[in-house]
Amino acid sequence: MTTSTIVAGIMPNVTEGRVADAATGVRLATRSDESDLRELTSLAVQGDRAAIESLLGHLRPMVVRYCRARLGRVSGHYHIADDVAQEVCIAVLSALPRYRDMGRPFASFVFGIASHKVADALRSSVRSAVPTQDLPDGPDERPGPEETVVRYIEAQHARALLSRLPANQRELLILRVVSGLSAEETGNVLGMSAGAVRVAQHRALARLRQLAELESIA
Amino acid sequence: MTAHVEDDAADVVLDALARREIVEWAADPAVRLLAALVADVDDVGDVNDYRLSSVSITPST
Repeated sequence: MTTSTIVAGIMPNVTEGRVADAATGVRLATRSDESDLRELTSLAVQGDRAAIESLLGHLRPMVVRYCRARLGRVSGHYHIADDVAQEVCIAVLSALPRYRDMGRPFASFVFGIASHKVADALRSSVRSAVPTQDLPDGPDERPGPEETVVRYIEAQHARALLSRLPANQRELLILRVVSGLSAEETGNVLGMSAGAVRVAQHRALARLRQLAELESIA
Repeated sequence: MTAHVEDDAADVVLDALARREIVEWAADPAVRLLAALVADVDDVGDVNDYRLSSVSITPST
């Protein structure tokens, strides 16, 4: 199978533009065709430039979402999280020649790196230099200020409650929902069986619900 | 449908959230929070195009 064939098989499922515009959402992109993705990874490890580019295009959105969910905004922007996501992508590319397929999905390798990079960023207190946003060239089609603020507050609330979950439950929910990994893929990242992930995610969801309800009563 | 997600349906709910589909149990506070987080993370710029040009696609050897 050629790189172009593999890329053609995978890329249509990769979300384009904002996820809100994507018909198939995130999850299908991660499960597009695992055997094709494995073959694409194999070609990328061998240095195939097109395969590397496709692989990165496939993984980057998941990594960006993961970093944004874990790190949140600073001064209303995702600059820090996006920079960390960029570091993850670079680290993945750097490690690619040394990657050996041990039967685990490539995503678990990527999110292993992402998890460490996020932990490093959380430990770092260097969050002072926040670049300002460039002036837009055209009309801004994003949601208006009111909707943005409401969404921002809700998302911050979600992060605050997630931070009160045990670390493994928080990581599980972010990988499953935000990054769109399957139970099997999430299990590979966290070192759990898919069955254990399903049990744990029930508990995590129940715990999150309990925290939200307690807050609404208080 | 109750406001709470049935335990045995959690996998279905999380899959739906991951696909960014409308979730039937939006009255569930946990699902609503996760949906808000997903919307916030997804809707800032274009996650696919983010600094694409600044990433070297040549791995080190």
